[in-house]
Amino acid sequence: MSEYVLELKGITKIFPGVKALNNVQFQLKPGEVHALMGENGAGKSTFIKVITGVHKAEEGEMFLNGQKVDFKGPKDAQAAGIAAVYQHPTSYPDLTVAENIFMGHEIVKNRMIQWKAMNAEANKLLKDLDADFDATAEMGTLSVAQQQMVEIAKAMSTNARIIILDEPTAALTRSESEKLYTLVDKLKADGVSIIFISHRFEDMYRLASRVTVFRDSQYIGTYDVDGITNADLIKAMVGREITELFPKPDVKPGKEMLRVENLSRMGYFKNVSFSVRAGEIIGLTGLVGAGRTEVVEAVCGITHPDSGKVYLENEEIHIKQPSDAMEKGIILLPEDRQKEGLIMSWGLGRNVTLPTISKYAKSGFNDEKTERDISKQLLEEVDTKAVDIFQPASSLSGGNQQKVVVAKALSQEMKVVIMDEPTKGVDVGAKSEIYAIMGDLAKKGYAIILISSEMPEILGMADRIIVMCNGRKTGELSREEATQERILELAMEKGTGKGAN
Amino acid sequence: MEKKSVLKKITGSREALLAVILILLFVIVTIISPSFLTPKSIMDMLKNNAVTMVMALGMLCVMLVGGIDISIMSTLALSGMSIGMLWKYEHISNTFLTFVIALAIGTVCGFLVGLVISRADVPPIIATMGFMYIYRAMGYLVSNNGEWASAAALGTFKDFATSSFLGINNVVWVIIICYVIFFFFMKWTRLGRKIYAVGSNADAAQVSGINVKNIKLMVYTVMGFLGGLGGALQVSVYASAMPDMQQGGEMDVIAACVIGGVSMSGGRGTVIGALLGSLILATIARALPLVPFFDQLWLNTIKGVIILVVVMVNVVLQRIADRNALKRREM
Amino acid sequence: MAGKSGRSINNVPESSVKRIIFSWEGILVLLFIAVNIFCAFFSEYYNLSSLLRQMPVYVAEVFLMIPMAYILILGEIDISVGSIVCLSSTMACIVCNTNAPFILVVLTALVVGTICGFINGFILTRFQELPPMIVTLATQIIFRGIAEIVLGSGGSISASNTEGFLLIGGKVGQIPYILFLVLILLIIFAVILGKGTFGRRVYAIGTNRLTAYYSGIHVQKIRLLIYTAMGTFSGLCALFLLSTSYGANTTTGNGYEMDAIAMAVFGGILSTGGKGNLAGGAISAFIIVCLRVGLGQRNIHPQVILLILGVLLIGAVALPNIIKQVQRSVKK
Repeated sequence: MSEYVLELKGITKIFPGVKALNNVQFQLKPGEVHALMGENGAGKSTFIKVITGVHKAEEGEMFLNGQKVDFKGPKDAQAAGIAAVYQHPTSYPDLTVAENIFMGHEIVKNRMIQWKAMNAEANKLLKDLDADFDATAEMGTLSVAQQQMVEIAKAMSTNARIIILDEPTAALTRSESEKLYTLVDKLKADGVSIIFISHRFEDMYRLASRVTVFRDSQYIGTYDVDGITNADLIKAMVGREITELFPKPDVKPGKEMLRVENLSRMGYFKNVSFSVRAGEIIGLTGLVGAGRTEVVEAVCGITHPDSGKVYLENEEIHIKQPSDAMEKGIILLPEDRQKEGLIMSWGLGRNVTLPTISKYAKSGFNDEKTERDISKQLLEEVDTKAVDIFQPASSLSGGNQQKVVVAKALSQEMKVVIMDEPTKGVDVGAKSEIYAIMGDLAKKGYAIILISSEMPEILGMADRIIVMCNGRKTGELSREEATQERILELAMEKGTGKGAN
Repeated sequence: MEKKSVLKKITGSREALLAVILILLFVIVTIISPSFLTPKSIMDMLKNNAVTMVMALGMLCVMLVGGIDISIMSTLALSGMSIGMLWKYEHISNTFLTFVIALAIGTVCGFLVGLVISRADVPPIIATMGFMYIYRAMGYLVSNNGEWASAAALGTFKDFATSSFLGINNVVWVIIICYVIFFFFMKWTRLGRKIYAVGSNADAAQVSGINVKNIKLMVYTVMGFLGGLGGALQVSVYASAMPDMQQGGEMDVIAACVIGGVSMSGGRGTVIGALLGSLILATIARALPLVPFFDQLWLNTIKGVIILVVVMVNVVLQRIADRNALKRREM
Repeated sequence: MAGKSGRSINNVPESSVKRIIFSWEGILVLLFIAVNIFCAFFSEYYNLSSLLRQMPVYVAEVFLMIPMAYILILGEIDISVGSIVCLSSTMACIVCNTNAPFILVVLTALVVGTICGFINGFILTRFQELPPMIVTLATQIIFRGIAEIVLGSGGSISASNTEGFLLIGGKVGQIPYILFLVLILLIIFAVILGKGTFGRRVYAIGTNRLTAYYSGIHVQKIRLLIYTAMGTFSGLCALFLLSTSYGANTTTGNGYEMDAIAMAVFGGILSTGGKGNLAGGAISAFIIVCLRVGLGQRNIHPQVILLILGVLLIGAVALPNIIKQVQRSVKK
């Protein structure tokens, strides 16, 4: 019997044009919780997909309990006792919990589904997990945390001995995370081996005994959690001292541009106030689900706040839809580039001029020549790596797509630019380019709101940092007083007046 | 506690709500016209709506996978016209064989529709619109450009719809059998649940090893099969076959499903829902002439308004539910 | 911050001659010629003057294709238009029979159509969660239902005063007014779609509604406008239909929505949104008009023409998909 339940050696996975994994290795001991860390795009997800048989590696070997295995598809991995629980549960919202758990391996007798047996079995699994819902509940009515629990129950129903949790806490509140921790402990006690992917250091310290770090598709190292510091880990993940990543210009903030007072939207955020001055970058941070995006969406007219006031240059403004915000000079660069930021099948040029077509148009007709010139100029200004303005946005890398989104904002006179997770899924090199653009915009006198979950990015770029937790603003820190610990403290705070648990 | 959950189940379940509406309708109609609630009257109502009721089952499957089929009444016309002409020119004189032929024609029609949708990726509305033209026209060609097969020509086949077995009309038996089979198929077999899985999340279904294309092919084939059955029933019940029969009838079938709570975007809907939906439609159609001021002319308008109200109320209820969920969120 | 790397991005478009010849529209033009040659051989009566004389009743449907193209490019569908045609012609006939001035008849047809279209648009923009298919299915039943109520048990009405209809059914030389009007509208709306900012926005909504909304496009306003225009054009169609039939009944306009959609889809305007243009729609519309006239002259039953239409419709969408699939499997 081998020392490891799962061992991968020399795994290389090539996608057209990119080496997503380059000669990486990984070892998982029986009954251990092993954290897998790395920046976005480091190759963690691809690696998981190789383990679960979704992708097939070009090179490398995989051993299960010392035996060499070769998965042809996800079903093989499932049969071998490997199960993955993804960040966004891949479930059937219209079906019951029991059906979701047993999809593909229903309990049948004489070709008839045995509902009673299935519900009973599912309830037993859920009870083991301390779930607070019934197996007959409809999946779509559950919270993300509950859906995750169903996925874990599903993994257990297939008798999985290796469970992979992909950023399970990303969408959970603090108390829900606590619950998940207990659950993982329980699985561990049952002898299940767990691979845990997370961006939160807290998760790692709380759960894992060892941590493996990937960077730029390569294996960096495996460390014992007991003997490692944050700084060591960050260095391993980023590969260099992080300060050089952030070319933050020294701009003296001008007059106040945007002020938000007591903005509330039921169920999303409550009494949020902040302001931003010309030339200033403010960071808006907090855990996923804290309501950051929802606040700026309400400011920009994408959704409508229930109460509160928004002032632009000391004048109250009423924004009903995104076009109003743009007319006034406020633009939101949304987080999801593919769904909200760009039209992926369109050429870059048309994407850039989309918000401003009428500006160039002559009596309602497009002036395509001017459009081409303007978009060329703007795309070059943000240094997009593209051949021509007609190539579809989908042909660019994440970082360059983000630059096109920025160019879209530059096509009009703007005062306030709100960037929602501008470096999500962007590689390290392009990241620093985007930070440079951000710095340039600040120098030009734009007021900038940067929403980000990445702590170094916030610390590196923002003049002031606003932290949100559970829909409330829990604190505001100046650049000088901000530290990772203080931000984390504020981000985890549970509402005002209520302590954690 | 137990009592409360039962009550909640009833008020929370769409089928229960529909059943209550149906019972209310029955009561109202019976008060206005006591003759409504006699076995004969009910039997007649079922018989006259047999086609819609049976085909609603197929539409349920199609809508569950997120599709739509508006070619079904053309399939009905083609299969119905074919058997009508076979009887008229005395090629067949056996009721059982007639059903087999009608079902075979319908199944082939549905299979072709399914092939075009699942294999050539043609959007369901476009594909079935095309087949709606094609099958209807083929029905015309079969009828020698518009001949009818009248009652006299249909010999003993029309007797099928007039005779009974164990005191229940044959046509009603067909409805009962279809609904029982589908009830078990959709709820208790893995294949039935796969239809729900595909409609609820096609990507997840694909990953968990369900052949989404084959499931789609299957539901349109089933729809075609029921179209063929509808053709035979139509000809037998109305004792005639003409190439333009049931033109526009697909809307009734879709309406029955929508009223019965089948979602247009797939994944939601039950056999009971389809049954109640088509019964409600049938009852309204039957009741309307009894109500003063409203006459048969108002039927379509009222049908349309009901569909519209049902879907809009759904949206409003969903919005209220979402709002309540937000209110509960701790902050 | 101008281009740190000094990289230059090309912004000179390729010559479009090649693109036009090998496009779907190019194929459609060839098909249009082929259909006319076929018709000329098939029917001894088929020539320009018989075509012009017999086309108005078919051309009336082309009015419906124009806004339907916009709706399909939005990625939506409106199957209530046939019923709107029915209701508008019914109402116009009723007004006509009160001996009202003809301008009132024209207004009635257009206003009734516009109101119907507005109702569709209003419901769809207020209840954005609802699929257009189900809403227009319901209004399809309702609009025709209202016409049925208005028409009463007879189920039909004929215009007692046909003077006005004769007038709009008139001709310049051999060319009927309706052809002029259709062509003018086609050109205007093709240019708006292809060159106008409005058109660009419609394509943006049809390709990615969220991005369009985030980019400041008034998505709901545009949807409402287009559905309302669909109603107005249905009124126009009703009016010209009356100029050939002088009456309406409960089946007037039956299946017209399908014809309009077929014309657009066959013209390369995919129902999934964001694709196609009105040039393709126009050519395919006239292919269908010519085919109907030609086959009609030899007393080919309209049903057979519908059969051909059905095959064309499915083929136009299925063939490119099948070719793509074959290409992919060959590559593998």
